[in-house]
Amino acid sequence: MVDVNTAVQSGSALLKKQMGSFAGSFGYEETAYHLPVSFALTGIAVHDPATAASAYAKMQDNPLIAQECLLAVKAGKAGREPAPYTGFIPDTVLRKLGYSLVDGSIIGLALLVGRPEKGSDAAGICRELQEKYMLTFLAGDIIASLTGNGVKVGLDYRLIPLGSTNAHGVHFVDIIARVAMMFGGVTPGDAGRLLTYAAERAKAIVFVFPGLSDEDLALVDAMRVLGFPIVSLGKYESGDWISASAEDAVRRGMEAKGIKVTVTAIPIPMGCSPAFEGKSIRKEEMYVEFGGGRSPAFELLQMKKKDEVTDGKITVIGPEITAMKEGSANPLAIIISVAGPAMKKDYEPVLERRIHNFVNYGEGSWHVAQRDLIWVRLSKEAVAKGVKIEHIGKLLASKFRMDFPSLIDAVSVTLITDRDKVLAAKRDAESVYAERDARIRGMKDSDVSIYYSCTLCQTFAPNHVCVITPERPALCGAISWLDGRIAYEISPAGANQPVEKGKAINEITGEYEGVNRFVKKASHGEVDRCSLYAVMEFPMTCCGCFECIALMLPEVNGIMVVHREFTGMTPSGMTFSTLAGTIGGGAQTPGFAGISKQYILSDRFLQAEGGIRRLVWMPSSLREELKSRLLKKLEEQGIPDFFDKIADETTAATIEDLSSFLAKVDHPALSMAPLI
Amino acid sequence: MGLTPPFDWTGSVGTVTLGATAAEGGTRSVSYRIGGGTTLPLLPGGNPGHAPLVAFEICDDIKLWPAIALKACGNVTGDIAAWAKIAENTYQADVIRLYLTSTRQRNFSDFAKIKTTVRAVLDATTLPVIIEGSNEPAIDSEVFLACGEAGQGERLLLGTAEAGRYRSIAAAALAYNHGVIAQSPIDINLAKQLNILLREIGVPNNQIVIDPYTGTLGYGFEYSFSAMERIRFAALKGDADLAMPMICSAIDSLNIKEVRDANPAGQDRMAISWECYAGIAAAAAGAEIVCVRHPGSVALLKDTFSHLTPKSGGA
Repeated sequence: MVDVNTAVQSGSALLKKQMGSFAGSFGYEETAYHLPVSFALTGIAVHDPATAASAYAKMQDNPLIAQECLLAVKAGKAGREPAPYTGFIPDTVLRKLGYSLVDGSIIGLALLVGRPEKGSDAAGICRELQEKYMLTFLAGDIIASLTGNGVKVGLDYRLIPLGSTNAHGVHFVDIIARVAMMFGGVTPGDAGRLLTYAAERAKAIVFVFPGLSDEDLALVDAMRVLGFPIVSLGKYESGDWISASAEDAVRRGMEAKGIKVTVTAIPIPMGCSPAFEGKSIRKEEMYVEFGGGRSPAFELLQMKKKDEVTDGKITVIGPEITAMKEGSANPLAIIISVAGPAMKKDYEPVLERRIHNFVNYGEGSWHVAQRDLIWVRLSKEAVAKGVKIEHIGKLLASKFRMDFPSLIDAVSVTLITDRDKVLAAKRDAESVYAERDARIRGMKDSDVSIYYSCTLCQTFAPNHVCVITPERPALCGAISWLDGRIAYEISPAGANQPVEKGKAINEITGEYEGVNRFVKKASHGEVDRCSLYAVMEFPMTCCGCFECIALMLPEVNGIMVVHREFTGMTPSGMTFSTLAGTIGGGAQTPGFAGISKQYILSDRFLQAEGGIRRLVWMPSSLREELKSRLLKKLEEQGIPDFFDKIADETTAATIEDLSSFLAKVDHPALSMAPLI
Repeated sequence: MGLTPPFDWTGSVGTVTLGATAAEGGTRSVSYRIGGGTTLPLLPGGNPGHAPLVAFEICDDIKLWPAIALKACGNVTGDIAAWAKIAENTYQADVIRLYLTSTRQRNFSDFAKIKTTVRAVLDATTLPVIIEGSNEPAIDSEVFLACGEAGQGERLLLGTAEAGRYRSIAAAALAYNHGVIAQSPIDINLAKQLNILLREIGVPNNQIVIDPYTGTLGYGFEYSFSAMERIRFAALKGDADLAMPMICSAIDSLNIKEVRDANPAGQDRMAISWECYAGIAAAAAGAEIVCVRHPGSVALLKDTFSHLTPKSGGA
């Protein structure tokens, strides 16, 4: 066994000694980047011993610089090595290589150095790398070993023989350094950015066979700082290297670097792309629908143990699309199980919300709302092309794996269309939703200085910005403050961004300088002011996904709430869907606000208008749904009898009825400050 | 004009350079910096002083080209170099836009010929050049590599990137320092998304020109106009992902029935009218490059633009 750390120390010392041993000028032709590694790291154009020494010193005697200088000196003296060796790769060739990397025709780079004990092992690794669209560079004895085993090398075969010694492996690094400067906008001398670029963008792996000298080991080990996994196939001992057998070397290297052979096409008979996201399916275009108040439907995503999830497994329980009548509303449960080492329970609701986007990606599938409120449609056109319920599952499984490769290893989807089974599963789902809601209960807006935005709906409503606080979940009810924070952790460039609350302008209406600043920017300048707790003045914008609408009723000096499931007429003279059409689309509509059900139970609810005492009407089904929690809330506020003062469609169907009902029960709103 | 519009814009349209002169490492006689507006198009005080550019479109395989354009151009259409030359010298175009229509035939594989064609056009004209490559994903990689390489140093504008296929164009733009046309189907959100995708792959904003997709006047142009308006608003309101100059080509103008069925004696006039009015409307919505195929449209559009464009800085 060779102890890598000891060897690296001795190798580095040997290299340092040689650094003083050359004279005269040296360098490569056909490049604008001098000695590229030294140039990229230090900004120094090395061409003689003095510049070499200063670059070497600047990088604290880094073996990469030493090897690069020594190899350039050697190449200058001895001239180019004969074919098949390429030696230093000129800039023009490199542009083409870089092109293929950006273009995606090659997905990563590999370097193989050393002398394989068995030529067939090395040949196997090369074949595997070729099959996986990796571009492979070779340095040292491995080249002879491969050609001896009948492997063809050269650019056409994606196997590039750099040179006869392991030290030629430094060209691998100079290629990456130049790609970073040419394509990554890395300025010479900005070592920090180079390292970040190499670590994050350059998908490179190094495979080490036996037979490396101490200097060679110092070179290879120094590549770790660029974020390249070093996979050892020899008797090397290092805590930082990966030991692997020839069979699993490629897999382990690619796994360590996070290189995935991506699935690009989802095998379903309809297109799937964000391009279709904004397209809705109108009634006349629809073949069947699910949910939307017409039939029971819900969606649920949960994390499971790895052995409980069979990746890619799609199960349909109940009738398939072929057994459904055209134009009918059918029950549907979308149940997704995911597993992965980085997955957390807290992430579930955030991922669950992505079902909305993914189903909309389908050319002939459409989805709105969330949890047990979902409304899904499949178009006639899609069904004519052969789309089935099963394909929605395939689409979801593929998209979750594609979009969250770091979180999810396995996804399985169960779709239930059998009414009784949907209803049974829905009860379980509801307890999961309640559990999630409970997790955030108890946290106050004043406890935190950062809120989270949600602009997920900007595809539909381009200027809409949700500001999510602990006491005011997103208006769709699907994303809490905690979810916003987690979503931001998972994807820092995503639709949930931190919003610095900033100085309070008005604590009662919930207007803050930082929130205003954020909303102005995120709404593309459309909205200047946003009051978090107000309906009347500067309410939050509405997309279209709101669970409920709160609106003022000037005739009775109060505010009513209607939820999405209520299809009847409200005292405002408008149904939910008419109201939704009036206030949605990303506009700020004074007197109207899109809210979540959970928010009704919040202490901040209607704070600007005097709190829950303003609430005059809500549908009986919503009243019933919230009853137990609302009663508790009202008790805390010292108005336990208030619950019975809230009218519903059975006690007050019209504004006139409402007016007399409120007078009869002596509703507090009647004596509150005028709304307008 | 004495009109000071009461806007309070916080952003501006970014600039993109098209073409490279000898001093800039290329061989063009002129290079343009398009974009840079700080208010709505054609308003005084806030738009760079230059008029929208007029690009003349030519192609290397005339099978799919509108007959009326071919007739008006005469027998140069068989010789790409001669066509480019006449577009510069006689039609007086500002830019040449070459469509590699030859790549659109089934099983195209003559990638070496693309290089010769691009080179021939670059040699024939001294104007900046826009190249439209393949529209078949399977050959994109080869086609755009050839385009990029053949035009190295000339700061071409390469088209057309779409949400599903932009990698090859982006790669060519990055490797050989060209600009990219990013096309979205009349949808501001998709335009923004594509720009973000391009940025993530490494193409800087100053190498992107938005093509909002232009319907012909009377055949859907109003949708394009509205999308362009909103793109410009977004840019002026500070959305950096939409703050790029725009290019418009109402390419169906010469195929519509009003032009096809026109009285033969007045057909050219009819064709020019449809192209020009679409072009003027596009410029009013913010297009900085307007493309045409009828030779007669070039001078008329240039003349119109010169009257519509306020002088730099003047209010």
